[in-house]
Amino acid sequence: MAGFADLNVPQGPDKKGLQSLLEAAARRESGSGAAAGPSRAGGAGAVRRFGPAGGGGCRPLPAVLVGYSAVALNHVIDFKEKKQEIAKPVSPSELFPSLPIVQGTSKQLKVLTRLTLVVSDPSHCNLLRSTSSNIRLYDIIAVFPKTEKLFHIACTTLDVDLVCINVTEKLPFYFRRPPVNMAIDRGIYFELLYTPAIKDSTMRRYTISNAISLMQICKGKNIVISSAAERPLELRGPYDVANLGLLFGLSESEAKAAVSTNCRATILHGGCFPAVCADWLAVRRVELRFWAQTPELLLVYSRNSEECLWGGVHGEEASQG
Amino acid sequence: MVRFKNRYVLCEVVAEEPRGRHCIEDRAVATAVRDAIARAYGDYGLACCSMSFTVKYLNAYTGTVLLRCRKDFHRLLCSALPLVRQLESRGLRCPCFLSTLHVGGTIRSCQKFLIQHNRRQLLTLLQNCTNEEERQRIRQSVLSCSLTEGQSQSGDEEEEDDTETD
Repeated sequence: MAGFADLNVPQGPDKKGLQSLLEAAARRESGSGAAAGPSRAGGAGAVRRFGPAGGGGCRPLPAVLVGYSAVALNHVIDFKEKKQEIAKPVSPSELFPSLPIVQGTSKQLKVLTRLTLVVSDPSHCNLLRSTSSNIRLYDIIAVFPKTEKLFHIACTTLDVDLVCINVTEKLPFYFRRPPVNMAIDRGIYFELLYTPAIKDSTMRRYTISNAISLMQICKGKNIVISSAAERPLELRGPYDVANLGLLFGLSESEAKAAVSTNCRATILHGGCFPAVCADWLAVRRVELRFWAQTPELLLVYSRNSEECLWGGVHGEEASQG
Repeated sequence: MVRFKNRYVLCEVVAEEPRGRHCIEDRAVATAVRDAIARAYGDYGLACCSMSFTVKYLNAYTGTVLLRCRKDFHRLLCSALPLVRQLESRGLRCPCFLSTLHVGGTIRSCQKFLIQHNRRQLLTLLQNCTNEEERQRIRQSVLSCSLTEGQSQSGDEEEEDDTETD
């Protein structure tokens, strides 16, 4: 079973806040409090809570862990403003000296880097087409199209992993079946955010209506639900997020996949396995699905010819390329 | 035999500040959940979920809450739980969220899950212990975790100080 992942944690300048958010996502220790009294569950004993015994520099944990095993730090680039340089991604090991351990397992939280491009003009996409090395250094590349034409371009030709769907306002365009089906075939996932739905009721209406209109076209496939949580209190556990997926019109299994297997497939699509460059190889969607279900076997096919370039048995955690 | 089937939802209240624990009481939680359902599903949802809705068990120290609702409408309840943002009681407001742990058909199944969950928590805390006395206490608590047949009322009332390592 693929672990849960939250693919959108906005990367702000506040390092400590980010650290606490990551801890909230990974670990389950609530803030300080006196020990428990008698528990009704037949003497389950005192459950003691105290702050994290984490590495130096992390402040007392505010929130309880909810159980994600991978998180992607999101760096948003908006082209409407002055031309911004795309900087190299900051390596997570520099930002966080000690990563919290995921509750229930003994592995550390996996922190990936992600770049989101907000495009409102076709000329902005040229950046993606150029083989700029800085972009390729990010693990996941997402695009946020603002017009129908750009949505079509993003689904059919752009080399991205995620297409973000606007949830904060009424969509200016309707989804059509051809680009959505092409995106599904290419292995691109559509991303929905849930934090605006929690915060504000108007946003909630827009989120639900945009999500349901997407569902009617794509039938619930290739959806990833992620938070854009800026504070630990806006984060929700993976089972709760899967339940929110039910509100958005997904079926129960699709909703659960939206938080676990689809995220994993996106990470793989982003090219996290060694010896593979995302430029000239594409793992076919069928093989990606197969990988997500049985992590033991991976077959990599070349984009042009149908020959199998690499096949092998792979461990559960693919190391980053 | 016709019988009303219920679903019991086990959640955990997660709050940022430690003083928020005082807000956790059954009426506050019930009101907050009802508000969230009303906001998400309106009058219909509120009416459906209120049919058999109560807070069956609440533990303010660990923040564990057990809710009950009708089996047919537990999806409504579960999908509205993430929308809870704060608990209010006696004029105090505490921003928090509810994290679903387990959904079961009987109280006993939720109880079994809670025991296992607490045991895992204790083991995690054991790793972070700093002195031997706490270690001993936690070991003792772990060993005494069990579901005994005549609901034993012992709970280990241990007032331990919290150690905040900063």
